[in-house]
Amino acid sequence: MAPILEVRSAIKRFGGVAAVNRVSLALEPGRIYGLIGPNGSGKTTLFNCITGVDHVDEGEILLKGRRVDRLKPHQIFHLGVGRTFQVIRVFPELTALENLLVVTTGGYPEARRRAQELLALVKLERLGDEFAGNLSYGQQKLVEFIRVLMTDPELILLDEPAAGVNRTLLNELLNAVRRLRDQGKTILLVEHDMKVVMGLCETVFVLDHGEKLAEGAPGVIQADERVIEAYFGR
Amino acid sequence: MKRWFPVALGMLAVGLALYPLEATGYGVRVGLQLFMWIALAQSWNLISGLTGYVSFGHVVFFGTGAYASSLLVNAGLPWPVACLGGGVAGAVLALIIGWPCLRLKGPYFAIAMLGLNEVMRVIVSYAEGLTGGGNGLSLPTLDASRSIYYAMGLVAAAVTAVTYAIVTSRFGLRLMTIREDEVAAEAMGIDTLRYKIYAFMLSAIGPGIVGGLSARDQGYIEPISVFPLIMTITMIVMALFGGKGTIWGPVLGAVVLFVFQEAVWARFVYLHQLLFGAIIVAVVLMMPRGILGVLQQKYNLPRTI
Repeated sequence: MAPILEVRSAIKRFGGVAAVNRVSLALEPGRIYGLIGPNGSGKTTLFNCITGVDHVDEGEILLKGRRVDRLKPHQIFHLGVGRTFQVIRVFPELTALENLLVVTTGGYPEARRRAQELLALVKLERLGDEFAGNLSYGQQKLVEFIRVLMTDPELILLDEPAAGVNRTLLNELLNAVRRLRDQGKTILLVEHDMKVVMGLCETVFVLDHGEKLAEGAPGVIQADERVIEAYFGR
Repeated sequence: MKRWFPVALGMLAVGLALYPLEATGYGVRVGLQLFMWIALAQSWNLISGLTGYVSFGHVVFFGTGAYASSLLVNAGLPWPVACLGGGVAGAVLALIIGWPCLRLKGPYFAIAMLGLNEVMRVIVSYAEGLTGGGNGLSLPTLDASRSIYYAMGLVAAAVTAVTYAIVTSRFGLRLMTIREDEVAAEAMGIDTLRYKIYAFMLSAIGPGIVGGLSARDQGYIEPISVFPLIMTITMIVMALFGGKGTIWGPVLGAVVLFVFQEAVWARFVYLHQLLFGAIIVAVVLMMPRGILGVLQQKYNLPRTI
């Protein structure tokens, strides 16, 4: 199948440091991918390059075969790429419901219905009128997650979705991600919780010092000596 | 919103409409100035209260409107049309300036606006052939204070109505996402630059018209009288005092501070500036959200209050 997202020899430098160095990867539709690596290995920078927050210095990023590496974030969003952030970025002084409503382009009643559905999906339907900033950390995380789903994106990038979310919520979240995959969505997630990565992802990419160290099924990655070395040292 | 509120608003409007029939010339002047401040504080609120982009030179639209409409009056246009022209001039300037400057973040935008006002004042001062330079510009004499009172009132009401419409719409919510977290707003598909430019242009129309009306009322303008920094500061303080980002906050702030200023100014010409400064410090320290902002948070009031 043709890849939905293709990164070709992407390089992103900050000063003299290549935060992302000749990284290539391809995502096929309808699968869950993991992106792992030690702190500072370039995972979030790669996310930022894919979503237009940063622009690659060299290389190409293609979405469904179309170059997107010079587009702005809002343009890339409208091409069907949604993301969450490592540090929560809900709109604190908007209500949970409003956080969702601002995203869509469709009619208002339809957007409301969709928003209520999504709130119910993560069991937050009773907190819709609460300011997002007053919600707990985990709840804010969920609002951020369902906000991405308002427009039904084809590719969803999740930056540490499990961090700070309790077990019960986490299972809900992971099930939601699997359901999205079953609907044909593609998911790429950065995650430090190895249990989550190994239990959820079908393919894992490992970054280290901005370079792609390995790629493969979770079991293969776990046994890869270079990966173990990158994480624990020699 | 409570049902009595529109009724009370309607009665207030009728009262204000009848007021000039009884009031002295001075009373009408005070009334039209109050309307002017409501329109200015509310306009500032549209860009700065909603998107968080603090405009530190908003009086530039007032001055530009004053000059544009005065030139149009002197070219023979009726003053109401000329004043609308002042609003258009404000919006056009906002578009020209907003396009580059609204890409600046945080304090840089505020400073750029501060600079813009100074630049406009200097340009107007040097363009003697057109503006009369430092000698100023005189308009034909006309006693129209009562008409200008009504016009100012209409502008104040219109800007507030527009604010209401925006705050209760998705357009308004999206403007607020820029204030809340611009990076996330972009990532959620909101073309933040475009939204900021729209809000900025909307926020420049009111001051442009009001500048024209004020110039028509004064009959004479000069660069230092229509581009004063203190006017920007006053509209900011009014909006902050009442509650930035709310619908009625800037109105409340303008009314309270204007009445206060008139009362104090009449007695202590110099002291009132000192008191004004003290109010700024007190508001920023003790209730950065302003009166309505505090009430909204405390009693969980809807945004429409």
